[in-house]
Amino acid sequence: MIALACVVGVPLYYIVVNTLKTQEEMARSPLGLPSQLFLDNYRQIFETVPLGRSFVNTLLVTVASILVMLFIGSTAAYAMAMRASRFNRFFGALLLLGFIVPGQSTLIPLYRMLVDVELVDTLRGLVIIYTGGAIFCYFLIQGYISRLPFEIIEAARIDGAGPFQIYWLIVLPLIRPILATVGVFQTMWIWNDFITPSVFLSSPEKSTLVLQVYRSVGEFSTDWPGFMTMSVLVLVPMVVFFVLTQRHIVDGLLAGSVKS
Amino acid sequence: MTAGVIAPAGTSPEVPAGATPPPRRGWGRARETTANQLFLVPVALVFVVLLVVPLTQTFYWSFTDFTGYSAEVKFVGLSNYGKVLTDPSMLAGLGFTLAFTIGTAVLITMVAIPLAVVLNKKFFARNFVRSVFFFPAIPSIAILGLVWGYILSPLGSGVLNSLLDSLFSAGPYPFLSDATLARVSVIVVAVWGGAGWHAVLYLAYLQSIPADYYEVATIDGASARQQFFHITLPLLTPAIVISNFLLMTGGLKVYDLPFTLTKGGPGYATYTITQSIITSGVAQGRYGLASALAVLFTIAVGLVAVAQLWVSRRIERRVL
Amino acid sequence: MRKRRTLAALAALTLTLLPAACGGTPGSGGDDNKLTFFSWDGEETMKPVIAKFEEQNPGLKVEFSNAPPVAEYISTLQSRILAGTAADVFVIAAENKTNLINGKHVVDLRDKPFLKNVPEFNQATYSGPDGAVYGMSVASWGAGILYNKDLLAKAGATTVPQTWDEFLALCHKLKSAGVTPYLESVQAMSTPLAAFLGARNAADGGTMDTKIFDGSAKFKDYWVEPLTQWSRLWTEGLVTRGVVGLTGDQVRTEFATGKAAMMVAGPWDVPGVREAAPKLKIEMAPIPRIDGGTPYLAGAASPGYAINTKAKNPEAAEKFLTYLNAPEAMALYQKATGAITVTTDFEPKLDPALTPIVKDVRAGNVYLPQIAWKRAEDILNVEATAQLQLLVQGKATPEQVANALDTKLASTS
Repeated sequence: MIALACVVGVPLYYIVVNTLKTQEEMARSPLGLPSQLFLDNYRQIFETVPLGRSFVNTLLVTVASILVMLFIGSTAAYAMAMRASRFNRFFGALLLLGFIVPGQSTLIPLYRMLVDVELVDTLRGLVIIYTGGAIFCYFLIQGYISRLPFEIIEAARIDGAGPFQIYWLIVLPLIRPILATVGVFQTMWIWNDFITPSVFLSSPEKSTLVLQVYRSVGEFSTDWPGFMTMSVLVLVPMVVFFVLTQRHIVDGLLAGSVKS
Repeated sequence: MTAGVIAPAGTSPEVPAGATPPPRRGWGRARETTANQLFLVPVALVFVVLLVVPLTQTFYWSFTDFTGYSAEVKFVGLSNYGKVLTDPSMLAGLGFTLAFTIGTAVLITMVAIPLAVVLNKKFFARNFVRSVFFFPAIPSIAILGLVWGYILSPLGSGVLNSLLDSLFSAGPYPFLSDATLARVSVIVVAVWGGAGWHAVLYLAYLQSIPADYYEVATIDGASARQQFFHITLPLLTPAIVISNFLLMTGGLKVYDLPFTLTKGGPGYATYTITQSIITSGVAQGRYGLASALAVLFTIAVGLVAVAQLWVSRRIERRVL
Repeated sequence: MRKRRTLAALAALTLTLLPAACGGTPGSGGDDNKLTFFSWDGEETMKPVIAKFEEQNPGLKVEFSNAPPVAEYISTLQSRILAGTAADVFVIAAENKTNLINGKHVVDLRDKPFLKNVPEFNQATYSGPDGAVYGMSVASWGAGILYNKDLLAKAGATTVPQTWDEFLALCHKLKSAGVTPYLESVQAMSTPLAAFLGARNAADGGTMDTKIFDGSAKFKDYWVEPLTQWSRLWTEGLVTRGVVGLTGDQVRTEFATGKAAMMVAGPWDVPGVREAAPKLKIEMAPIPRIDGGTPYLAGAASPGYAINTKAKNPEAAEKFLTYLNAPEAMALYQKATGAITVTTDFEPKLDPALTPIVKDVRAGNVYLPQIAWKRAEDILNVEATAQLQLLVQGKATPEQVANALDTKLASTS
């Protein structure tokens, strides 16, 4: 498994190792280890690019969007699972439209909509656009909820718990693995997304990290080590986030809780 | 539901079935239904505001000469649709788009499920390995294009070609410049990029399988292989449906990966439908035409998706 | 339980922080002290240029934003124009000029004093059918062949070839000396082919594409001979057919590491080669001609600055354009980009390797088919690229390639 991981990881190794090289060394031996520790690529970026500012912007947008999305997605999945009426099933199928429509075709109407409500070029507006990802969350979560043991919910109901209490106290803890997974997927998407902020944000001080990276790279740029260095810097928080979150994904919670 | 298929005899009756709980009788029922439906309001809002309204706009534009620059448009009836349906270049991307969609869906599913099962076990450096498999999905497509272009370079100096040369003194092979090899290469890179992501999805769903199923099966003397085919796989069906639905809809819309690796070449070997929407519609300021294409495309993908869901629901019902 | 409470607190916190980080809404209208500018050059390039302008015009503030070229820039500008939020000054490029001009989104700059030092060729690139000029293009680019002088010397060549036959002979010579003679990426319009066509067009007084697009001539009439000559690189076994899978970056790496003696290159390749191989002796030259005439270049005028017809601050916009092509700003811009600037009152400081092409580029003796074409440029360009790849692979003949273009053009009318 580790050997296979190494093969799969070669391209990632290539990216990281070349951020530690000069352009000359990258051309000469792109796969070799750097002959000396060359940190100028990093130094240059920290000196010229306002990373702190855009990091805070990205963090705010990502956290807010994820929380909103997970809330909307999980409530929808919960409602559908609790009451599989004909209307609900039809509505659930309709929601799938969210995956089918090519993204390019809604971009312009959405932009005009945000202009009308004066939310274009604001981080709030960006969060609203990302809220559309809730449909993806719903889709992944509903498959998971349908596998839950309903005895627990029934028991709570007999004890007199209302729908919201059941959702908040029973269902949410049970679906933690899928919430974590969806959270990771969506965080990755928003954190790395370039096209949405590029269209919806114009002020440099509101830039997200990825936007900053692309905007700092000029036309016809051939400075690949520089570009890769910026990308690595953007990715570092993601790596940390994934490593921290993945234990929630595989927290075999259900296996234990069913018996108790 | 035929429990015997899933687990050996002796399974507890608490097998999750996705069934609706029996309706509650009495005074609270109507109120509870209302409360329940309230949970759907947020998603309905998102659906209408972020999807239905913009789509209606696009639908309207598909009947106009909209350029994408000025909101003053002229109604042109069905002529955009006529143009789309009679233009042979719109079909150029169809073949590869279908091959890509089916190829990636099948291969990623075949790789991701065993991968998830292995990653679910405890072993040395598990966190590290998980991260490595997951991370191909992350860096920007521009950088991945650069890296893979270099690995698959048709010259003797390309990574793969120099490796093949030193191991078997074979090559150099034109990975991205021969029509068939280019198609295969693009699909392989897509599998590399997507397998880990989908494995994490399966990993999450694996958590919903109660551990006692495996305990019972082990006691009954089922081999690991039998457990995989008789417990894991059937109980992963919802995940398989979801994963493949994402792969199908994503695959039919694919654009940037083939474009970065091959620009659609050689010839039209790796040209996709979305690329043709972009070059012949959006880029030329013929937004009305592009809208018509998008509408037709949405309908086509929708039909494929519905068919796929219908088939998999049937399979699901048979398996469970 | 505790975890969920932290989560709720976190949610509340972010949602309250967000508005604070957003500040006021933009587009709040006529502010005499503010000029908005949307560029496709990066922040690093434009920052010093803008800083100088603000220094010279106290009280005037430039609000800068940008998107990287080409697709992202075009689509971002488009959605902003449609919604009425586009900047006062933005960039007009070959890819969006038709839409911008036809939709009357850009101001006619004809006879403005700041166009005086912009050459005719650059003005013509961004002019409308009525002779109006819609963009101030201050630079051009030309692509030719970059030679590795050391490898050439090893094969006994001291001067660069002047005709295509000489060029192919040199390739043969290098190949028999065990050197990869030449590489070009065939993932877009071919540079030598464009130069062949440009030379032909110039010889015909610049009427080639007018005739093709008004129907009095066909691609077939002009393209077959240049295609045949260009494809000799492969029919004579000089270059691997694998080049259709190579990117420009890969070609440059091969060249910089001394694995190829010649490559197709533009001015932007030179800094990259210098960085990767500081000691290499290199020289750029135009493409040798197939008819034996003076070598010619592929190339075009760079995108220009344009003023939004709905600019909130049109006076400041004109002031800004006046500043941008004055020698002082030109010097800052040229230093950051290394571009071959064309304004008549400023002499760009360029890499000596570019010397052989600078005069022609500044005079506008360059040609690029997809810019000279009159309509359906993108569709034709995609078709041309695909057909060139088939030609390189030996799966299409020059006649078939030219016919395919004629068919494509006919289908788009």
